[in-house]
Amino acid sequence: MKVKVVTNILEANDRIADENRRIFQEAGVYVINMMSGPGAGKTSLLVRTIQEMQKKVKIGVIEGDIAGTDDAERIDSLGVPVVQINTGGGCHLDANMIREVLPDMPLNDLDLLIIENVGNLVCPAEFKVGEDMKVMLLSVAEGHDKPLKYPLMFQESSALLLNKIDLLPYIDVDMAKIRKDSLSLNPKLKIFEVSCKTGQGISEWAQWLETLVKK
Amino acid sequence: MHEVSIAQGMLDIVIENCRKQGCSGIESIKVKIGKASGVVPDALLFAFEAMKAGTLAEKATLIIDQVPISGFCNNCNSGFTVDDAYAISCPHCNSFSIRVDTGRELNVDEMEVF
Repeated sequence: MKVKVVTNILEANDRIADENRRIFQEAGVYVINMMSGPGAGKTSLLVRTIQEMQKKVKIGVIEGDIAGTDDAERIDSLGVPVVQINTGGGCHLDANMIREVLPDMPLNDLDLLIIENVGNLVCPAEFKVGEDMKVMLLSVAEGHDKPLKYPLMFQESSALLLNKIDLLPYIDVDMAKIRKDSLSLNPKLKIFEVSCKTGQGISEWAQWLETLVKK
Repeated sequence: MHEVSIAQGMLDIVIENCRKQGCSGIESIKVKIGKASGVVPDALLFAFEAMKAGTLAEKATLIIDQVPISGFCNNCNSGFTVDDAYAISCPHCNSFSIRVDTGRELNVDEMEVF
């Protein structure tokens, strides 16, 4: 007997993501899903962002990594609530993983929750976790070919942070091409140039983020 | 890259449907996988074969119907279909101002039960 099913395989994830989103809205917390390839500087950006905003905005962090607690320890030392998720090989965070750690996060005390996804330029872009917006980082040393090679993340993100601009004198990267290709893929993309090493550009990013959180 | 979670999601859907219908097993599952979904058919088949054991789908064959990418170009006002895994620009005029209509499907379409 043939049975018509017609169900989206990611629907279960999307349903849980919607539930998470409701929980976040009730708690009045703005949620960012932060994505990049490995080593682009997500945790360094988190540290800078927290230092810049901590006095005005109450921030919490969920750290996603395949293994280890190094990132969570870096965040913990700043005195903000942090929960580590180890995916044990999984290439992305999904909505269910986030749901399971929410009881450990004091959501009612927070203005902003930043979810640091697993370092991977492909899969995290496919899975909603209940966020208000997706943000991506690209370190300039990764090269100007990345937007067209990994288009989905650029299409899905609301903001792109180009990190490690302190390296620009030493590398052959065409910043204009990154901007042009990224905006071709996603005309609404907000682009920031930052260096988590020197702190350059961080305050512009933090101010922009603060206006969204306070809305 | 995450075909195992996709295979699990697919199995959850068909097994739940099979139970609802009061059937004793699943013979075949037809899925529609868009070419731009990021799912590699061979990897999905491999994950499915490994994960179906001991479930109501253990005798099931998986039929993958790949959906090509199609869309419409706002610049030259024409529809297009591409054979690649991504559509970034219009294949006729290279404009980036395109709307993609199909190619990101990830659906269980139908199944045969016994």
